[in-house]
Amino acid sequence: MTDYSIWVLEYAAVEKFPFSVMMYGPQHQGTRKLPYAYVLIKGKGETILIDTGYDHVAYGEQLATAYGVSNYHGPRDVLAECGVSPEDVTSVLITHAHFDHMGAIHLFPNAKFYVQKSELDKWVWALTLSPEYRFLTGGGDPADIVRAVEAAKEGRMICIDGDQEDVLPGIDVHLAADTHTYGSMYITVRNDGARESEDKWIFAGDLIYTYDNLTGLDAEAPQIVPIGLAVGSQHNLIFASDRMMKSVGGEVRRVIPVHEDRLRTTFPSRLTDKGLQVVEIALAKGEKSRVA
Amino acid sequence: MDVTANSRAEQAVLRYVAAARPVQRLISATLTQVAGFALLLLTSRSRASLAEGALAGAHEAAMRACEEVRALAVPDIAAHHHHHLRGAAEALLQACTAALDHGRVDGSDHDDALSRTLRASSDHLRTTARLLPGFELVDFGQACCAAHAPKRLLQDVT
Repeated sequence: MTDYSIWVLEYAAVEKFPFSVMMYGPQHQGTRKLPYAYVLIKGKGETILIDTGYDHVAYGEQLATAYGVSNYHGPRDVLAECGVSPEDVTSVLITHAHFDHMGAIHLFPNAKFYVQKSELDKWVWALTLSPEYRFLTGGGDPADIVRAVEAAKEGRMICIDGDQEDVLPGIDVHLAADTHTYGSMYITVRNDGARESEDKWIFAGDLIYTYDNLTGLDAEAPQIVPIGLAVGSQHNLIFASDRMMKSVGGEVRRVIPVHEDRLRTTFPSRLTDKGLQVVEIALAKGEKSRVA
Repeated sequence: MDVTANSRAEQAVLRYVAAARPVQRLISATLTQVAGFALLLLTSRSRASLAEGALAGAHEAAMRACEEVRALAVPDIAAHHHHHLRGAAEALLQACTAALDHGRVDGSDHDDALSRTLRASSDHLRTTARLLPGFELVDFGQACCAAHAPKRLLQDVT
Protein backbone atom coordinates (compact mmCIF):
# COMPACT_ATOMS: atom_id res chain seq x y z
CA MET A 1 0.00 0.00 0.00
CA THR A 2 1.22 3.49 -0.82
CA ASP A 3 1.15 5.76 2.22
CA TYR A 4 2.09 9.10 0.70
CA SER A 5 1.39 10.99 -2.48
CA ILE A 6 4.56 12.68 -3.63
CA TRP A 7 5.04 15.47 -6.15
CA VAL A 8 8.07 17.47 -7.23
CA LEU A 9 6.87 21.00 -7.90
CA GLU A 10 8.88 23.39 -10.04
CA TYR A 11 8.63 27.01 -8.90
CA ALA A 12 11.25 28.73 -11.10
CA ALA A 13 14.06 27.78 -13.46
CA VAL A 14 17.30 28.75 -15.10
CA GLU A 15 16.80 27.87 -18.74
CA LYS A 16 20.49 27.71 -19.62
CA PHE A 17 22.58 26.49 -16.72
CA PRO A 18 26.20 25.48 -17.34
CA PHE A 19 26.53 21.73 -17.14
CA SER A 20 29.99 22.14 -15.63
CA VAL A 21 28.41 23.24 -12.35
CA MET A 22 26.09 20.24 -12.22
CA MET A 23 28.97 17.80 -12.46
CA TYR A 24 32.52 18.22 -11.24
CA GLY A 25 34.87 18.05 -14.19
CA PRO A 26 33.22 18.37 -17.58
CA GLN A 27 33.99 21.91 -18.78
CA HIS A 28 32.62 23.56 -21.93
CA GLN A 29 29.83 21.03 -22.39
CA GLY A 30 26.99 23.45 -22.90
CA THR A 31 23.97 24.14 -20.79
CA ARG A 32 20.88 22.43 -19.41
CA LYS A 33 17.67 23.68 -17.93
CA LEU A 34 17.92 23.79 -14.13
CA PRO A 35 14.50 23.74 -12.49
CA TYR A 36 14.12 25.10 -8.95
CA ALA A 37 11.69 22.85 -7.12
CA TYR A 38 10.51 21.54 -3.79
CA VAL A 39 8.84 18.28 -2.88
CA LEU A 40 5.29 17.94 -1.57
CA ILE A 41 4.46 14.81 0.42
CA LYS A 42 0.86 14.27 1.48
CA GLY A 43 -0.68 11.48 3.51
CA LYS A 44 -1.16 10.02 7.01
CA GLY A 45 -2.69 13.33 8.09
CA GLU A 46 0.49 15.23 7.21
CA THR A 47 1.31 17.77 4.52
CA ILE A 48 5.07 17.84 4.27
CA LEU A 49 7.50 19.85 2.19
CA ILE A 50 11.12 19.11 1.51
CA ASP A 51 12.64 22.62 1.44
CA THR A 52 10.80 25.92 1.16
CA GLY A 53 12.17 27.58 -1.94
CA TYR A 54 13.24 31.20 -1.72
CA ASP A 55 11.62 34.55 -1.10
CA HIS A 56 11.20 36.26 -4.45
CA VAL A 57 10.49 39.61 -2.84
CA ALA A 58 14.00 39.60 -1.41
CA TYR A 59 16.05 38.32 -4.32
CA GLY A 60 13.86 38.07 -7.40
CA GLU A 61 15.21 40.94 -9.42
CA GLN A 62 18.82 40.20 -8.53
CA LEU A 63 18.46 36.53 -9.45
CA ALA A 64 16.63 37.30 -12.66
CA THR A 65 19.10 39.87 -13.96
CA ALA A 66 22.37 38.36 -12.79
CA TYR A 67 21.67 34.65 -13.09
CA GLY A 68 18.83 34.22 -15.52
CA VAL A 69 16.35 32.76 -13.03
CA SER A 70 12.91 33.05 -14.59
CA ASN A 71 9.26 32.20 -14.12
CA TYR A 72 9.20 32.36 -10.30
CA HIS A 73 5.87 31.61 -8.69
CA GLY A 74 5.21 31.66 -4.95
CA PRO A 75 4.11 28.62 -2.95
CA ARG A 76 0.45 29.67 -2.94
CA ASP A 77 0.29 29.32 -6.71
CA VAL A 78 2.57 26.31 -6.90
CA LEU A 79 0.96 24.24 -4.15
CA ALA A 80 -2.52 25.03 -5.48
CA GLU A 81 -1.73 22.73 -8.40
CA CYS A 82 -2.04 19.91 -5.85
CA GLY A 83 -4.94 21.41 -3.90
CA VAL A 84 -2.75 22.55 -1.01
CA SER A 85 -2.17 26.00 0.52
CA PRO A 86 0.92 27.15 2.45
CA GLU A 87 -1.16 27.22 5.64
CA ASP A 88 -1.87 23.48 5.22
CA VAL A 89 1.82 22.55 5.44
CA THR A 90 2.48 20.79 8.73
CA SER A 91 6.21 19.99 8.44
CA VAL A 92 9.16 21.12 6.37
CA LEU A 93 12.37 19.08 6.14
CA ILE A 94 15.20 21.46 5.26
CA THR A 95 17.97 19.69 3.36
CA HIS A 96 20.42 22.56 3.90
CA ALA A 97 20.50 26.23 4.79
CA HIS A 98 21.07 27.84 1.39
CA PHE A 99 18.76 30.66 0.37
CA ASP A 100 16.88 28.63 -2.23
CA HIS A 101 16.14 25.79 0.20
CA MET A 102 15.28 27.61 3.43
CA GLY A 103 14.59 31.11 2.19
CA ALA A 104 10.82 31.08 2.65
CA ILE A 105 10.24 29.86 6.21
CA HIS A 106 7.93 32.81 6.83
CA LEU A 107 5.55 31.69 4.10
CA PHE A 108 4.54 28.53 6.03
CA PRO A 109 3.03 29.87 9.25
CA ASN A 110 1.81 26.58 10.69
CA ALA A 111 4.74 24.32 9.84
CA LYS A 112 7.41 22.79 12.01
CA PHE A 113 10.89 22.91 10.47
CA TYR A 114 13.51 20.19 10.76
CA VAL A 115 17.18 20.92 10.10
CA GLN A 116 20.45 19.25 11.01
CA LYS A 117 22.13 20.63 14.13
CA SER A 118 25.55 20.60 12.48
CA GLU A 119 24.24 22.69 9.57
CA LEU A 120 23.51 25.50 11.99
CA ASP A 121 26.39 24.97 14.42
CA LYS A 122 29.11 24.95 11.81
CA TRP A 123 27.64 27.83 9.89
CA VAL A 124 27.71 29.93 13.03
CA TRP A 125 31.30 28.82 13.58
CA ALA A 126 32.27 29.68 10.00
CA LEU A 127 30.90 33.17 10.53
CA THR A 128 33.42 33.74 13.28
CA LEU A 129 36.19 33.42 10.69
CA SER A 130 37.60 36.45 8.94
CA PRO A 131 36.16 37.66 5.61
CA GLU A 132 38.64 35.80 3.41
CA TYR A 133 36.84 32.59 4.44
CA ARG A 134 33.47 33.80 3.21
CA PHE A 135 33.27 31.01 0.61
CA LEU A 136 32.28 28.82 3.54
CA THR A 137 29.17 30.86 4.27
CA GLY A 138 28.13 31.79 0.73
CA GLY A 139 24.54 31.22 -0.30
CA GLY A 140 23.27 31.99 3.19
CA ASP A 141 21.02 34.93 3.97
CA PRO A 142 21.05 36.55 7.44
CA ALA A 143 17.29 37.06 7.16
CA ASP A 144 16.75 33.30 6.92
CA ILE A 145 18.49 32.73 10.24
CA VAL A 146 16.49 35.55 11.82
CA ARG A 147 13.29 33.88 10.60
CA ALA A 148 14.56 30.58 11.96
CA VAL A 149 14.98 32.30 15.35
CA GLU A 150 11.36 33.43 15.20
CA ALA A 151 10.23 29.89 14.36
CA ALA A 152 12.37 28.52 17.21
CA LYS A 153 10.81 31.00 19.63
CA GLU A 154 7.44 29.57 18.65
CA GLY A 155 8.73 26.02 19.14
CA ARG A 156 8.60 25.34 15.40
CA MET A 157 12.30 24.81 14.68
CA ILE A 158 13.63 21.36 15.49
CA CYS A 159 17.31 20.50 15.28
CA ILE A 160 18.17 16.91 14.41
CA ASP A 161 21.49 15.42 15.39
CA GLY A 162 22.55 12.94 12.70
CA ASP A 163 20.47 10.12 11.25
CA GLN A 164 16.98 9.73 12.66
CA GLU A 165 14.30 7.21 11.80
CA ASP A 166 10.61 8.09 11.70
CA VAL A 167 11.05 11.82 12.10
CA LEU A 168 7.60 11.66 10.59
CA PRO A 169 5.77 8.37 10.09
CA GLY A 170 7.74 6.29 7.60
CA ILE A 171 10.16 9.13 6.89
CA ASP A 172 13.82 8.97 7.90
CA VAL A 173 16.50 11.65 7.63
CA HIS A 174 20.21 11.06 7.12
CA LEU A 175 23.11 13.39 7.76
CA ALA A 176 25.59 13.75 4.90
CA ALA A 177 28.22 15.64 6.86
CA ASP A 178 30.74 17.94 5.23
CA THR A 179 29.44 17.47 1.71
CA HIS A 180 27.65 20.21 -0.24
CA THR A 181 27.29 22.00 3.09
CA TYR A 182 28.34 21.17 6.64
CA GLY A 183 25.12 19.48 7.64
CA SER A 184 23.27 18.59 4.45
CA MET A 185 20.70 15.87 4.88
CA TYR A 186 18.81 13.59 2.57
CA ILE A 187 15.42 12.10 3.22
CA THR A 188 14.06 8.59 2.80
CA VAL A 189 10.34 8.01 2.40
CA ARG A 190 9.42 4.36 3.05
CA ASN A 191 6.20 4.55 1.18
CA ASP A 192 4.88 1.18 2.27
CA GLY A 193 5.65 2.00 5.91
CA ALA A 194 7.79 -1.13 6.28
CA ARG A 195 11.14 -0.97 8.02
CA GLU A 196 12.66 -3.08 5.24
CA SER A 197 10.78 -1.15 2.62
CA GLU A 198 10.35 -2.24 -0.95
CA ASP A 199 9.01 1.16 -1.95
CA LYS A 200 11.67 3.66 -0.91
CA TRP A 201 12.18 7.10 -2.37
CA ILE A 202 15.18 9.21 -1.54
CA PHE A 203 15.21 12.99 -1.79
CA ALA A 204 18.76 14.10 -2.25
CA GLY A 205 18.64 17.85 -1.64
CA ASP A 206 21.68 19.25 -3.42
CA LEU A 207 23.88 16.21 -2.83
CA ILE A 208 23.22 15.54 -6.50
CA TYR A 209 21.87 17.89 -9.17
CA THR A 210 21.23 15.28 -11.86
CA TYR A 211 20.97 11.53 -12.32
CA ASP A 212 24.29 11.84 -14.16
CA ASN A 213 25.97 12.43 -10.78
CA LEU A 214 25.02 8.85 -9.92
CA THR A 215 25.86 7.22 -13.24
CA GLY A 216 28.49 9.35 -14.94
CA LEU A 217 28.22 10.17 -18.64
CA ASP A 218 29.58 6.92 -20.06
CA ALA A 219 26.96 4.15 -19.97
CA GLU A 220 29.69 1.58 -20.65
CA ALA A 221 31.60 2.59 -17.52
CA PRO A 222 29.26 3.99 -14.85
CA GLN A 223 30.74 6.05 -12.06
CA ILE A 224 29.67 8.48 -9.36
CA VAL A 225 30.66 12.02 -10.29
CA PRO A 226 30.04 14.62 -7.59
CA ILE A 227 28.50 18.05 -8.09
CA GLY A 228 30.84 20.96 -8.60
CA LEU A 229 30.20 22.80 -5.34
CA ALA A 230 31.10 21.65 -1.85
CA VAL A 231 32.25 23.26 1.38
CA GLY A 232 33.02 19.72 2.53
CA SER A 233 34.65 17.29 0.16
CA GLN A 234 34.08 15.52 -3.12
CA HIS A 235 35.04 12.34 -1.27
CA ASN A 236 32.13 12.74 1.14
CA LEU A 237 29.74 13.59 -1.70
CA ILE A 238 30.72 10.42 -3.54
CA PHE A 239 30.16 8.20 -0.52
CA ALA A 240 26.89 9.91 0.38
CA SER A 241 25.75 9.22 -3.19
CA ASP A 242 26.85 5.62 -2.80
CA ARG A 243 24.81 5.29 0.42
CA MET A 244 21.73 6.68 -1.26
CA MET A 245 22.12 4.33 -4.23
CA LYS A 246 22.65 1.26 -2.07
CA SER A 247 19.62 2.16 0.01
CA VAL A 248 17.37 1.79 -3.06
CA GLY A 249 19.14 -1.27 -4.42
CA GLY A 250 20.87 0.68 -7.16
CA GLU A 251 17.61 1.83 -8.77
CA VAL A 252 18.78 5.25 -9.90
CA ARG A 253 15.35 6.77 -10.57
CA ARG A 254 14.43 6.36 -6.89
CA VAL A 255 17.06 8.90 -5.84
CA ILE A 256 15.35 12.16 -6.69
CA PRO A 257 17.41 15.24 -7.60
CA VAL A 258 14.95 18.14 -7.59
CA HIS A 259 17.08 20.13 -10.03
CA GLU A 260 16.90 17.35 -12.66
CA ASP A 261 14.85 18.43 -15.67
CA ARG A 262 14.49 14.80 -16.78
CA LEU A 263 12.19 14.04 -13.83
CA ARG A 264 9.35 15.15 -16.13
CA THR A 265 10.14 12.35 -18.58
CA THR A 266 11.03 9.77 -15.92
CA PHE A 267 7.71 10.12 -14.08
CA PRO A 268 4.19 11.19 -15.08
CA SER A 269 4.15 14.97 -15.33
CA ARG A 270 2.18 17.98 -16.46
CA LEU A 271 3.07 21.51 -17.56
CA THR A 272 0.83 24.01 -15.79
CA ASP A 273 -0.63 27.09 -17.45
CA LYS A 274 2.13 29.03 -15.66
CA GLY A 275 4.77 27.00 -17.46
CA LEU A 276 5.83 24.99 -14.40
CA GLN A 277 6.27 21.24 -14.23
CA VAL A 278 4.30 19.08 -11.80
CA VAL A 279 5.99 15.68 -11.47
CA GLU A 280 4.06 12.88 -9.80
CA ILE A 281 6.35 10.43 -8.04
CA ALA A 282 3.71 8.45 -6.13
CA LEU A 283 -0.02 8.51 -5.49
CA ALA A 284 -1.59 7.30 -2.25
CA LYS A 285 -4.85 5.41 -2.26
CA GLY A 286 -7.79 7.78 -2.62
CA GLU A 287 -5.69 10.69 -3.86
CA LYS A 288 -6.43 11.94 -7.33
CA SER A 289 -3.71 12.38 -9.88
CA ARG A 290 -2.55 15.95 -10.39
CA VAL A 291 -0.98 15.25 -13.76
CA ALA A 292 -3.72 13.33 -15.57
CA MET B 1 23.86 71.81 -17.09
CA ASP B 2 26.49 72.03 -14.37
CA VAL B 3 28.52 68.93 -15.19
CA THR B 4 31.04 69.67 -12.49
CA ALA B 5 28.37 69.85 -9.79
CA ASN B 6 26.89 66.56 -10.98
CA SER B 7 30.26 64.99 -10.98
CA ARG B 8 30.94 66.21 -7.44
CA ALA B 9 27.62 64.77 -6.25
CA GLU B 10 28.35 61.47 -7.96
CA GLN B 11 31.80 61.34 -6.45
CA ALA B 12 30.32 61.95 -3.00
CA VAL B 13 27.91 59.05 -3.49
CA LEU B 14 30.67 56.80 -4.73
CA ARG B 15 32.79 57.68 -1.72
CA TYR B 16 29.81 56.94 0.53
CA VAL B 17 29.22 53.57 -1.16
CA ALA B 18 32.88 52.64 -0.90
CA ALA B 19 32.97 53.51 2.80
CA ALA B 20 29.55 52.14 3.73
CA ARG B 21 29.79 48.77 1.99
CA PRO B 22 32.39 47.28 4.40
CA VAL B 23 30.31 48.48 7.35
CA GLN B 24 27.19 46.86 5.91
CA ARG B 25 29.15 43.62 5.43
CA LEU B 26 30.29 43.79 9.04
CA ILE B 27 26.69 44.28 10.20
CA SER B 28 25.45 41.45 8.00
CA ALA B 29 28.10 38.97 9.17
CA THR B 30 27.62 39.93 12.81
CA LEU B 31 23.83 39.76 12.52
CA THR B 32 24.04 36.25 11.10
CA GLN B 33 26.38 35.27 13.91
CA VAL B 34 24.13 36.65 16.64
CA ALA B 35 21.04 35.14 14.99
CA GLY B 36 22.86 31.83 14.82
CA PHE B 37 23.70 32.13 18.50
CA ALA B 38 20.06 32.92 19.27
CA LEU B 39 19.00 29.87 17.33
CA LEU B 40 21.35 27.66 19.32
CA LEU B 41 20.09 29.28 22.51
CA LEU B 42 16.46 28.62 21.65
CA THR B 43 16.99 25.06 20.45
CA SER B 44 19.62 23.86 22.92
CA ARG B 45 21.10 25.84 25.78
CA SER B 46 24.07 23.47 26.15
CA ARG B 47 25.15 24.06 22.56
CA ALA B 48 24.72 27.79 22.98
CA SER B 49 27.39 27.82 25.66
CA LEU B 50 29.87 26.86 22.94
CA ALA B 51 29.09 30.08 21.09
CA GLU B 52 29.36 32.50 24.01
CA GLY B 53 32.89 33.51 23.08
CA ALA B 54 31.72 34.35 19.60
CA LEU B 55 28.90 36.43 21.08
CA ALA B 56 31.36 38.58 23.01
CA GLY B 57 33.22 39.16 19.74
CA ALA B 58 29.95 39.96 18.01
CA HIS B 59 29.13 42.57 20.66
CA GLU B 60 32.45 44.30 20.01
CA ALA B 61 31.83 44.13 16.26
CA ALA B 62 28.37 45.66 16.69
CA MET B 63 29.81 48.54 18.72
CA ARG B 64 32.46 49.09 16.05
CA ALA B 65 29.76 49.03 13.34
CA CYS B 66 27.76 51.70 15.21
CA GLU B 67 30.82 53.93 15.45
CA GLU B 68 31.73 53.45 11.81
CA VAL B 69 28.20 54.21 10.63
CA ARG B 70 28.19 57.41 12.66
CA ALA B 71 31.53 58.41 11.15
CA LEU B 72 30.39 58.08 7.52
CA ALA B 73 30.24 61.22 5.39
CA VAL B 74 26.69 61.11 4.04
CA PRO B 75 25.67 63.04 0.91
CA ASP B 76 22.01 64.13 0.82
CA ILE B 77 21.09 61.55 -1.77
CA ALA B 78 22.31 58.74 0.51
CA ALA B 79 20.57 60.00 3.66
CA HIS B 80 17.77 57.46 3.46
CA HIS B 81 20.24 54.64 2.97
CA HIS B 82 22.30 55.87 5.89
CA HIS B 83 19.19 56.05 8.09
CA HIS B 84 18.59 52.32 7.55
CA LEU B 85 22.25 51.42 7.89
CA ARG B 86 22.32 53.20 11.24
CA GLY B 87 19.09 51.46 12.23
CA ALA B 88 20.59 48.08 11.35
CA ALA B 89 23.70 48.73 13.44
CA GLU B 90 21.83 50.08 16.46
CA ALA B 91 19.28 47.24 16.45
CA LEU B 92 22.14 44.77 16.13
CA LEU B 93 23.81 46.24 19.20
CA GLN B 94 20.52 45.89 21.10
CA ALA B 95 20.26 42.30 19.89
CA CYS B 96 23.74 41.57 21.23
CA THR B 97 22.75 42.99 24.60
CA ALA B 98 19.54 40.94 24.59
CA ALA B 99 21.49 37.80 23.69
CA LEU B 100 23.98 38.38 26.51
CA ASP B 101 21.10 38.96 28.93
CA HIS B 102 19.36 35.86 27.64
CA GLY B 103 22.44 33.82 28.44
CA ARG B 104 22.17 34.91 32.08
CA VAL B 105 18.43 34.89 32.70
CA ASP B 106 15.65 32.66 31.39
CA GLY B 107 12.38 34.16 30.27
CA SER B 108 10.14 34.72 27.32
CA ASP B 109 10.61 38.50 27.62
CA HIS B 110 14.23 38.00 26.67
CA ASP B 111 13.20 35.76 23.78
CA ASP B 112 10.89 38.50 22.55
CA ALA B 113 13.51 41.24 22.87
CA LEU B 114 16.09 39.13 21.10
CA SER B 115 13.92 38.16 18.16
CA ARG B 116 12.42 41.66 17.86
CA THR B 117 15.79 43.38 17.68
CA LEU B 118 17.18 40.77 15.29
CA ARG B 119 14.16 41.28 13.05
CA ALA B 120 14.57 45.07 13.18
CA SER B 121 18.24 44.84 12.23
CA SER B 122 17.49 42.38 9.44
CA ASP B 123 14.71 44.57 8.02
CA HIS B 124 16.88 47.70 8.05
CA LEU B 125 19.71 45.76 6.45
CA ARG B 126 17.49 44.41 3.73
CA THR B 127 16.33 47.94 2.97
CA THR B 128 19.93 49.08 2.55
CA ALA B 129 20.34 46.33 -0.03
CA ARG B 130 17.38 47.64 -1.99
CA LEU B 131 18.21 51.36 -1.91
CA LEU B 132 21.62 51.37 -3.56
CA PRO B 133 23.34 48.91 -5.90
CA GLY B 134 26.33 47.03 -4.58
CA PHE B 135 24.83 46.26 -1.18
CA GLU B 136 23.45 42.80 -1.92
CA LEU B 137 23.29 40.58 1.14
CA VAL B 138 23.60 37.11 -0.33
CA ASP B 139 26.65 35.97 -2.25
CA PHE B 140 24.85 34.01 -4.94
CA GLY B 141 28.14 33.33 -6.68
CA GLN B 142 28.86 30.76 -3.99
CA ALA B 143 25.35 29.36 -3.90
CA CYS B 144 24.32 25.98 -5.17
CA CYS B 145 21.91 26.93 -7.90
CA ALA B 146 23.50 30.14 -9.05
CA ALA B 147 27.14 29.19 -9.18
CA HIS B 148 27.46 30.77 -12.59
CA ALA B 149 27.70 34.46 -13.13
CA PRO B 150 28.37 35.52 -16.69
CA LYS B 151 27.29 39.11 -16.12
CA ARG B 152 29.31 39.45 -12.97
CA LEU B 153 32.38 37.98 -14.61
CA LEU B 154 31.95 40.47 -17.41
CA GLN B 155 31.72 43.31 -14.90
CA ASP B 156 34.88 42.09 -13.25
CA VAL B 157 36.72 42.30 -16.56
CA THR B 158 35.49 45.73 -17.63
